[in-house]
Amino acid sequence: MTDRQWFLIAVLGYGLSMLHSIFLWRKGFRTADKISYAVIALSFIAHTTAMGVRGFSLSRCPVNNLFEAMMFIMWTLVAAYLVIGLIPKLRFIGAFASPALLAMGVFALMPALDHTPNPDVPRLAALHAAFILLAYGAFGLGSVAAAMYLTEEHDLKVRKTRTILSLLPPIQRLEFVATRMLFIGFAFLTVGLAMAPFLMKDRYGVFFKSDPKITWSVFVWLLYGGLISMRSWFGQGGRKFAWGAVGGFSFVLLTFWGVNLLSKAHQS
Amino acid sequence: MPIVAIGLSHRSCPVDIREKFAFSDAEIPAVLDDLRKRGLVSEAVILSTCNRVELYAVTATADRGTLEQLRNQLAETRSFQQNLGDEFYLYPEPHSLEHLFKVACGLDSMVLGETEILGQLKKAYDLALQHKLTGGRLNKAFQRAFNVAKHLRTSTNIQRGSISVGSAAVELAEKIFSTLADRHVMVLGAGDTSEKTARALLSRGVKSILVSNRSYDRAAALASELGGRAITFDDWFQEFHQIDIVISSTSAPHYILDKPKLQQLLKGRKSRPLLLIDIAVPRDIDPDVNLLESVYLYNIDDLQAIAENYLQQRRQEISKCEAFIREKAQALLAAAGGALAFQPKLSVEVSQA
Repeated sequence: MTDRQWFLIAVLGYGLSMLHSIFLWRKGFRTADKISYAVIALSFIAHTTAMGVRGFSLSRCPVNNLFEAMMFIMWTLVAAYLVIGLIPKLRFIGAFASPALLAMGVFALMPALDHTPNPDVPRLAALHAAFILLAYGAFGLGSVAAAMYLTEEHDLKVRKTRTILSLLPPIQRLEFVATRMLFIGFAFLTVGLAMAPFLMKDRYGVFFKSDPKITWSVFVWLLYGGLISMRSWFGQGGRKFAWGAVGGFSFVLLTFWGVNLLSKAHQS
Repeated sequence: MPIVAIGLSHRSCPVDIREKFAFSDAEIPAVLDDLRKRGLVSEAVILSTCNRVELYAVTATADRGTLEQLRNQLAETRSFQQNLGDEFYLYPEPHSLEHLFKVACGLDSMVLGETEILGQLKKAYDLALQHKLTGGRLNKAFQRAFNVAKHLRTSTNIQRGSISVGSAAVELAEKIFSTLADRHVMVLGAGDTSEKTARALLSRGVKSILVSNRSYDRAAALASELGGRAITFDDWFQEFHQIDIVISSTSAPHYILDKPKLQQLLKGRKSRPLLLIDIAVPRDIDPDVNLLESVYLYNIDDLQAIAENYLQQRRQEISKCEAFIREKAQALLAAAGGALAFQPKLSVEVSQA
């Protein structure tokens, strides 16, 4: 089996876990969930195998194109979840993480993202990509915490007794985690984007060149910059901030592959 | 030698009879020693709480005569002259062990699943142990009872959740705030339920409590009891900006807090959550305030629904707990003697309260 087929099995596993999480959601996360945890753990084995097959075939760490980078980020997220899930009370996080994993996996499997890496690409480009992907990983985690916040906050507002019975952490803590993740992600994104002019200069002889991906990246930077400014300077928390975190990451997930394909600067 | 249990509880008789059989800790060793000297028991433990007085004992036989003799002896000790009927339950094995396990788990308690009884049972056992009034059989039985209680507490929902208004409010607060340690509470109206709710929050370590009441003296008295600060009823508005949790139970005939008023008070809070607990009837807080961002309003019905939900959940666990208890009682009997465990011959009719 190829690395992509192993990875496909892993993504299908994350999808299964997501389907199961719908039931957990409806039940209100009352009990520690073994099924989701087991499905994600089994998927993780396939995921690790995919990384191994790719790494051995290249004889290097598989983080050379978008497919590999996404696969790597997802692997670290799942590994973190499996460690956290050793505490049964925290396994519910899988219900929120699996939809994000499925979306990221489907996105990573786009054939266009898995091109053969150009051996002449400067090291700074790899660093630029790594910082930006780490930023998206942090935004992803932030959106998971924000989705948990929105679920619990809604239940508290409509006074569903399942809120009390659920294993979800307090909404204030979820808001704190979402905020922290967005700050970390924004810092990574800023550093990653700050490298872009130097890469442009190296390649095209100019510090700035019009490109859909560059325009999109600036928009994403402004979007998250706006969100964290509203949070830190105007104290805009609560539902609006959580929706911003979920919406922001959804936008990234839905448009990232499109602008990447449109971008000439990121194709070669 | 069998273990028997005799006793009376809130299920079998009213308090005016229970109180006549109540024993203080100081009296129990002498009573047990007397039973032993009379040859009625070889090991014994007395559990005496506000809801029950029970004797667990190892006797030579477990026939009805022996159990009635024990009951009569207890009555004589307490100088109880009236005729006893169904007030006392008399349990031979295996019912005696099953009853002990049920008591340890709170299944026989007035508040289903409560945990206080386990502490009381441990205390009663320790007292008998200290005075060397227990032996191999009761030691094993009580240790097993404690283990069963611990197991059921962790593996079922029998002790989960809050079944009082005060503790339901605490659980709500814990679903909203990361920690209660730095929270400020305001009590509006110095009623009994608000006091209990405030005490429940205090037990979780809230930082400060402000008490306001139409009668300042009552506010001051309650604040003093709670270790808080009293303010006049005209001043609660000024203090509101720092508050995280409000417990309101005034006797005002109209809303004392509505949406426009609260909108003013929320300015500058920067989305800091606010939990409003309105336990007044008629209500003190306009339900529309729940529409405001980061404001969570719960009234007395909401809290009672939470408590009832938990109680319902506990009730659903009873059969699971009873099955486990039966299994453990049988296992204990099997380990002690074998045949009796599997074919228990009830030598007396068990009187179910």
